[in-house]
Amino acid sequence: MTQPDSAPEPTSWPGGAYSIKRHGVSLSSCDAEPVQTPGCIQAHGALLVLRPLDLVILQASENSAALLGWPPEDLLGKSIGVVIGEAGAATLRQSLASGATDANPLRLFTQPGIAGGPALDVSMHTLEGLALVEFEPTSPGDDAQAQHGYSLVKKAVGRLRHASSLHHFCTIAVQEIRELTGLDRVMVYKFHADGHGEVYAESGRADLAPWLGLHYPAEDIPMPAREVFKRVWIRPTPDVNGALAEMVPLVNPQSGRPLTMTHCALRGASVMYTEYLQNMGVTAGLTMALRRGGELWGLIACHHYSGVARLPFEVRAACELLAQVVSLQHQAIENQEYLAYRLSREAVHQQLIVQASEEGGLSAMTEGAPTVLDAIRADGAALYHHKRWWCAGQTPPVAALDALAQWLTARAEIGDGIRPVFVTDRLAAEYPPAARFVDIASGLLALPLTASRDALLLWFRTQTMQTVMWAGDPDQDIAVVGPHGRRLTPRRSFELFAESVAGRSLPWQAVDVDLALRFRVLVKELVVSRVERLAELNNDLERSNEELDAFAYVASHDLKEPLRGIYKHAHQMLEELALPPGSESRKRLDRVMLLTQRMDALLDSLLHFAHVGRMTLEKDKVDLNSVVAEAMEMVDARRLERACEIIVADALPTVVCDRVRVREIFVNLLSNALKYNDKPVCRIEIGCKRPSAGSAIADRPDDTVGAAGLPVFYVRDNGIGIAPHHLDQIFGMFRRLHGRAEFGGGTGAGLTIVKKLVERHGGHVWVRSTLGQGTTFFLTLAADTAAPT
Amino acid sequence: MTLAGNTQQILLVDDSDDDFETVCEALRLSGLQSVLRRATDGDACMALLRRGGAERPVFVMMDLNTSRTDGRDALRQIKTDPKLRMIPVVVVTTSANPRDVDLCYEYGANAYHVKPVRYPDHLRMLRQMLDYWLAGVLKPTLSKPSP
Repeated sequence: MTQPDSAPEPTSWPGGAYSIKRHGVSLSSCDAEPVQTPGCIQAHGALLVLRPLDLVILQASENSAALLGWPPEDLLGKSIGVVIGEAGAATLRQSLASGATDANPLRLFTQPGIAGGPALDVSMHTLEGLALVEFEPTSPGDDAQAQHGYSLVKKAVGRLRHASSLHHFCTIAVQEIRELTGLDRVMVYKFHADGHGEVYAESGRADLAPWLGLHYPAEDIPMPAREVFKRVWIRPTPDVNGALAEMVPLVNPQSGRPLTMTHCALRGASVMYTEYLQNMGVTAGLTMALRRGGELWGLIACHHYSGVARLPFEVRAACELLAQVVSLQHQAIENQEYLAYRLSREAVHQQLIVQASEEGGLSAMTEGAPTVLDAIRADGAALYHHKRWWCAGQTPPVAALDALAQWLTARAEIGDGIRPVFVTDRLAAEYPPAARFVDIASGLLALPLTASRDALLLWFRTQTMQTVMWAGDPDQDIAVVGPHGRRLTPRRSFELFAESVAGRSLPWQAVDVDLALRFRVLVKELVVSRVERLAELNNDLERSNEELDAFAYVASHDLKEPLRGIYKHAHQMLEELALPPGSESRKRLDRVMLLTQRMDALLDSLLHFAHVGRMTLEKDKVDLNSVVAEAMEMVDARRLERACEIIVADALPTVVCDRVRVREIFVNLLSNALKYNDKPVCRIEIGCKRPSAGSAIADRPDDTVGAAGLPVFYVRDNGIGIAPHHLDQIFGMFRRLHGRAEFGGGTGAGLTIVKKLVERHGGHVWVRSTLGQGTTFFLTLAADTAAPT
Repeated sequence: MTLAGNTQQILLVDDSDDDFETVCEALRLSGLQSVLRRATDGDACMALLRRGGAERPVFVMMDLNTSRTDGRDALRQIKTDPKLRMIPVVVVTTSANPRDVDLCYEYGANAYHVKPVRYPDHLRMLRQMLDYWLAGVLKPTLSKPSP
């Protein structure tokens, strides 16, 4: 509640200070009514305002003659003693000295009424430097009822202690108060977070239509009235249709200020409230505050339909006490209930997680029992993951969900690091397309399940109009309509209410948001963390690739520069020293230069390998026959001293691949085949097999090779072969199975690069070999690289 | 080395003393008349080129990985400076990284050479390059001092 603590000073009313009698009907806004300074009292009692210092009467209600025997003009300026006698005045002085009556009306004594009139209860309180003395007629049997009242309070408190829930607790309270007061209908009226009210508990005469569960707009209890109930516990209106008596003079003659009657039991009732009650046929009312801390959380509202209901001071005090007990106890019960709710939902969360982990999918969250819908109070729930939706309860259609998800992921709330949650009870106001499904999704609570926002958890609440019962059944129009017209009728209440709740859901409570956030953590850990972990791995991989690239770059430059220097100095030393051929020092310097060159070659291989891993393949339709022909030309077998026979056994297909890189594969395999060969005639066969389904090539190592029908290329030689225990090493970086000088040397990166290139094409490479007889390399390129023939 | 009036001036940007020595040797072996000036980083290179009254080099030999402002940046500065961009810039570097090659040509490099590790190869590369740029091609007439 954002209203200021006190109503504005009502000094600007036509003709001076405000008085219900003079200005009430001119009111147009409930929130403008100065309910704490009404200028009038209910005429069944009388009010005198005293200067505490000397008990001189400053103001008197205009009906003083009828109740006290003196008209105001005869009382003003005189001591209170003329009305209550010197003994009464002494009691007043004592009370004033004790300070007990500050903003706290106390009944001091009962004095006999004037001739033929009833005895009067005299009570007093002080406020703003004034003493307010109220006179109320007692009714016969008051004392007995007072005793009865006390035992009733005792009994009520006893029963309240055993309440099992807040609702039960409130129900006991209204029953007890009804018994205590004898009023026709007693309700606990509970305020919701948005200010609107609900009849939460009710006890009424059997013939009255129950109002339990009905909701009323916030406007029904205007802000000024709510402010009063933050200060006073009880507010009696014993005769709704009773007369009013104005204060004489209307303002304090000394200060010129209107009289603040907040704590007066006799305070004149609000015009709006009175008219509303009258329109509903209520003849007497009694209202008590239900507070939590300084906040008003509800009211105990009593309606009486069968005439005046003047409650004795003691009964009112008992009611006040009960209201305070309910206020105090209610907090504890609500906490208890909150905890129970929280625990029950958390048990549901655990169940859901177990379900999902056992059944291994998000569908377990929406199809099993319980579902994600039971995780918090909602009417629909939707889980979004991997571009799929899993829904439970009432949700908008998938197309609408897609658009909503897109809108949501752009919201800053969803990206919040600590509380990544978007909550609204009026979605269409923030996201206009939601107007199309406003009835089922006015409320939305949305959470991201991953940091990358590609998984979402949504809960929906239906429009309040669909959810709650409203006050003012349209068929129950009330004939009597006061001067303010239909506004002050339950029917109009509903119309206002419907306006105020159109497009809105019941507001999300803090506990629901907290539960949702906790549930998110569980789901995230269980289901989605896998995806996150994968993304993290990918990130790591990318980072290490970049690091490799950077390393290769360092290798190419920073390592090569000193290498060049070393070579140069060795070279120059060799020239300057003019060492004789065959000398030890000359050999050493030659060796330094040789090692430098070797290091250079290794760095180049490393650089090339890194490059092969990172570069973009330029794929095109490529005729492999021409690629193999080029590769054969590049290795230039004719240069070799040994006799060579290279045959291409089959016509090779056309595939989609990077021509240069695939040629490099064949160049590497061919030069290996030529290099590692000790036979008089080096024979190499290049071919392609397209295994039919089910009859895989014998040499295929396992089923990871891919779908049957993929062409398998091979390069077979009659070379030295590879010992079985070396087969798994040959694709390793810089792995060499032979001495540097044997078989023409090399860096040992060739097959590593072949493997990388094949894998970059999405294929596999494997090897079969018999030591001493020859080796065959097999390779595939990925399925999508095969062009239709 | 003196600044003879019609002697061709070369600006070498390289922080390696060994490589500087090798360039000197290559120049000596080539027998070509020229003055070799050296800057050890991009900043020094730009300062030399922009100094008023200084004679313009007939071309710049640019290493890429120098301290402070590196060769890439110096190349970019030269090629975006209307008064300097006509000067041929020949990149002579250890890096054979295709990204560097592409970047340099994009910036407007006139040639790109990789320094070989073997000294004789290095000398041969430099001699061919010097021969080409000093005696083989016509160069823009920009030897007048800037105003």
